[in-house]
Amino acid sequence: QEHQETLARRAIIEKKKELASDALQKKQKEEENRKRMIAQQRQEAEQLRLTEEHKERERKRMKDEQDRIRRENNEKELSDLLKKGINIGDVDVKDLDSNQLRLLRISQLEKEKNDLFKNLRVTGKRIDHLERAFRKEEIKLLPKDYEA
Amino acid sequence: MRPILLQGHERSLTQIKYTKDGDILFSCAKDQVICAWFSANGERLGTYHGHQGALWTVDIDPSTTLLASGAADNTVRLWDIRTGKCVKVWNFDTAVKRVDFNEDGTQLLAVTEKRMGFLGTIVVLDVKVDVEAEQSDEKALVITCDESKATVAAWSYLSRYIIAGHEDGSVSQYDGKTGELIYSTPAHEDGMQVTDLQMSSDRTYFITASKDKSAKLHSARDLTLLKTYPSDTPLNTAAITPKKPFVILGGGQAAMDVTTTGARQGKFEARFYHKVFEDEIGRVKGHFGPLNTVAVDPLGRGYASGGEDGYVRVHAFDRGYFDFG
Amino acid sequence: YDLEEEVDFSDLKEQYDVRLEQGLDAFVVADGLPIVPKESKPKLIKFLTKQLNKAGKVKEDGFVMPCNKQGMTEGYAFIEYHTPQQAIAATKQLHGTAIDKKHTFAINKLTDIERYGREGRIDDDYQPPYTPDFQEKEHLRWWLGDPNSRDQFVMLRGDNLGVFWNKKKDPPEQIIDRGNWTESHIMWSPLGTYLATMHSKGVQLWGGPSWTRQTRFPHPLVNLIEFSPGEKYITTWSFKPIEVAEDDPFLSPDEEGKNYIIWDVATGRVLRSFHMHDLPTPLESESGQPVKKKIPWPAFKWSSDDKYIARMLEGESISVYELPKMTQLDKKAIKIEGVTDFEWAPALPQRDSVKTYEQLFCFWTPEIGSNPAKVGLMSIPSKEIVRTRNLFNVTDAKLHWQSQAAYVCVKVDRHSKSKKSLATNLEIFRVREKGVPVEVVDSIKDTVINFAWEPKGDRFVLITTAEVVITTAVPPKTAVSFFCPEKIKGAGVGNFKHIQTIEKKNSNGIYWSPKGRFVVVGTVHSQQSFDLDFWDLDFEGEKPESEKDLTANLKHMNTADHYGVTDVDWDPTGRYVFSTASMWKHTMESGYHLYDFKGELLREEHIDKFKQLSWRPRPPTLLSKEEQKTIRKNLREYSKDFEEQDRIEEDKEKGAIVDERRRVLNEWLAWREREEEELKAD
Repeated sequence: QEHQETLARRAIIEKKKELASDALQKKQKEEENRKRMIAQQRQEAEQLRLTEEHKERERKRMKDEQDRIRRENNEKELSDLLKKGINIGDVDVKDLDSNQLRLLRISQLEKEKNDLFKNLRVTGKRIDHLERAFRKEEIKLLPKDYEA
Repeated sequence: MRPILLQGHERSLTQIKYTKDGDILFSCAKDQVICAWFSANGERLGTYHGHQGALWTVDIDPSTTLLASGAADNTVRLWDIRTGKCVKVWNFDTAVKRVDFNEDGTQLLAVTEKRMGFLGTIVVLDVKVDVEAEQSDEKALVITCDESKATVAAWSYLSRYIIAGHEDGSVSQYDGKTGELIYSTPAHEDGMQVTDLQMSSDRTYFITASKDKSAKLHSARDLTLLKTYPSDTPLNTAAITPKKPFVILGGGQAAMDVTTTGARQGKFEARFYHKVFEDEIGRVKGHFGPLNTVAVDPLGRGYASGGEDGYVRVHAFDRGYFDFG
Repeated sequence: YDLEEEVDFSDLKEQYDVRLEQGLDAFVVADGLPIVPKESKPKLIKFLTKQLNKAGKVKEDGFVMPCNKQGMTEGYAFIEYHTPQQAIAATKQLHGTAIDKKHTFAINKLTDIERYGREGRIDDDYQPPYTPDFQEKEHLRWWLGDPNSRDQFVMLRGDNLGVFWNKKKDPPEQIIDRGNWTESHIMWSPLGTYLATMHSKGVQLWGGPSWTRQTRFPHPLVNLIEFSPGEKYITTWSFKPIEVAEDDPFLSPDEEGKNYIIWDVATGRVLRSFHMHDLPTPLESESGQPVKKKIPWPAFKWSSDDKYIARMLEGESISVYELPKMTQLDKKAIKIEGVTDFEWAPALPQRDSVKTYEQLFCFWTPEIGSNPAKVGLMSIPSKEIVRTRNLFNVTDAKLHWQSQAAYVCVKVDRHSKSKKSLATNLEIFRVREKGVPVEVVDSIKDTVINFAWEPKGDRFVLITTAEVVITTAVPPKTAVSFFCPEKIKGAGVGNFKHIQTIEKKNSNGIYWSPKGRFVVVGTVHSQQSFDLDFWDLDFEGEKPESEKDLTANLKHMNTADHYGVTDVDWDPTGRYVFSTASMWKHTMESGYHLYDFKGELLREEHIDKFKQLSWRPRPPTLLSKEEQKTIRKNLREYSKDFEEQDRIEEDKEKGAIVDERRRVLNEWLAWREREEEELKAD
């Protein structure tokens, strides 16, 4: 009887033990999972951060590059304009943005057009005057031509 | 000078008229409807329905009470401007191409078409400027044009003369009371139709437009040629601006005569000339077809043009206009 | 000017009237003969008879040469031919020809002399010669004396033909205007002396300050004409062969069935007439349609000195005729197998190491069998071949002479062996240099559709296109290229170099200023595109570094727009340009634009039924080289005067405009006032 009871108790204890062990195991597993999840999340966050960082760097690089190109262009254009003798006054070259430059360029084109116009006007006058001078002298020879 | 575009007609415009104070604009077109518009903002006041054929002409009496119209349905109609009611119909044998009130609005002339055994005529009708009054059926005067039909006509100052432009390019002067032909002159090139005739504000001189590509200014008293405005396109219309010394001409090659497409060919522009010096001052583009009619605000604030394209364009003159000349 | 008189040939008719009465028609009077003593007379008669027999057969004892009391011949003789036709032939062929170095035949029909001599026209007593014609003759070069140094142009619109002075911005000043003055087009003679009008009965030449008729050429149904460069002669052509009626007063039976007549401008006489060559049988295009061959014009080409005229018989020969006799050089055509085209040098070529300069023409022959295509230069009258050059794979060739005959550029279109890809070579013959070296300008991949030398210069412009689509309304994309010689040390002209190419244009026309330097490149005869680009090749401004070795400084001056433009015409001084839109080509806005050399629009006018406009050419300046040099040197002085003149003129004009306006305005105000008063009174 007692033996029977003992056996039964043992069995219960065994069972409890088993249950306890199971529970522990489960808990451990859950714990592991949780840890893994956190680790993963962390990793992903890190990854994202890295990507963002990279992107940001890239953006900055691009912007710097563009700025550089723009600056170089501006400088080149400015030096072109300066070479052509445009007067920009006391303005600091570094402060010029492309809008101002555009205006400068327009005024330069205007100037070139005016110069061309002036230049050709002088040419035109000379051609006209030369022709008229020839004719003026030629008229004197016409009566002789008539007799011939 | 940004124009107001009036889109109310479905077919080409035939005539535009301002009221005496310039506030309202009447337009008629081949779509058988007369429209009334506020000239200041282009808002449509109303329409006048009743004609059974293409409308050719409108006019308003000086007190802005009655509206007269003539159409291809061989009638002249009189309308109560306020209510839009037709108060009188006169019947004729042929289409009516032009109506014109005299200075005090007591008489109305009508130019009738020549067709199938009917000679062109200019008829004078007595009008009572009262929407309630019974209008007489009687024709006060009938002038028959046996030489060349009249295409346009208008009353001179004091209703003394009726001045008419003819199909053969001539302009003639009739006694306003007896209808007797006083004088006729070949104002435009032979065979080149007079397409429009508009009086100055005091009706002492007038402008004619012609297919011969020119417009001319004449004295109403003796038809003396005062000025000539040459252009490069057949003209349909011409108007004299009050206040400022300009004239406005409109025309353009009719679609069937234009061999190549494109607005460039058509010359669909209103042209401004200096009335006294006769030189062209500027052009106003906008229409897609020939200009059929121009009218100027009697107070000199702007002008309107009506085109073959079915649009009316109302222009208010800007500052530059008043500074010029 | 009387309309009735419009094409009145009656006086000419009388002059030409052949009278077969009196049996004197076989007689001619020869004048201008050498004067010799009685003893030498037989010898002279023998000599002259030989020459006179060229036109016919002189009758035995048909030679009468009178002597005077001193026993000397009198410089004239009466000659009887066997037939009246021979006598006519003699007046035509021998009149004006040289007997020897000092004497020239004047051969007239006796009946003519009779006619002019009778009816009391010649008194028995000697009278000092009265020559009203001569004294009243107007100076045909009157227009060169315009004190304002303006130029004339002729304009045909509708049936009205008028001549005008160019007044720049102001409306041109009309000199004369006549209705129905011409029945088709008009043409100036090359030196500007005459204005030629075209009529169904023939051609008329007009000139002098009163625009009187100078000469007529009664070629019925004449279509086209061409003057010789020196205006001495004129070629007339009608598509319809001439029909000579039996009693035709102007044309002899010789002209029957002919299409071309070569005339002497001064006398109005026929020098010789020709049939048209049969056109080669029409070729068939790929689609089997017969390709209509254009009638070559001018078929007869003039040498630059008016001494020769030549015509090609395609594929066979070139016939060169000597003026004024119009006899064929060495009596036979020059055989050139395969000859396809030829062009005379437009000036007397001044060739290195050649003592006597001769006229020169360039010709080309295609590949025949295994023989290559050839370009040749032949000197006339020696007929010496100065240069030939062999070419391979030639599809077509075009000959372009420079105006001073310094170069001839042969534009050679070539195909590959497979006859597929096309390319163009420019083979430039340097005519003045010893041995006539040929420079080849690098092959150009696209098709060259236009080429033009700078007049009196050594630069050229060409237009190429990649696509050759003819039937679309959209003009093909073209590229415009400029070339010039590179700078070299010392005398001579360097190699031709490319200056610049402007891509993506629609241009098809090249119009150089007649004085060189400026050129207009534009799009004509197009419905979509009508731009005109004005270029300067010697811009007096900064020159791009990359072009410092070139003999040009190219600058785009301006772009103009002329809707419907069909023609571009520079004035002879290179100061002004007309662009015109003619109703002959389309019905769009017809009229003209006037620009200055730099492309600034001075004036535009739309004119209904506008047809043709043409500047009056000017003869070469009467000033010597030295005189020109002096003027150039003192230009500053002249300039001062001209500036002052222009300023005064401008002030005057402005003043005149203001005065006129004031007058018109006052007139108007006065009229208004009167009207208003009358109105009040009414």
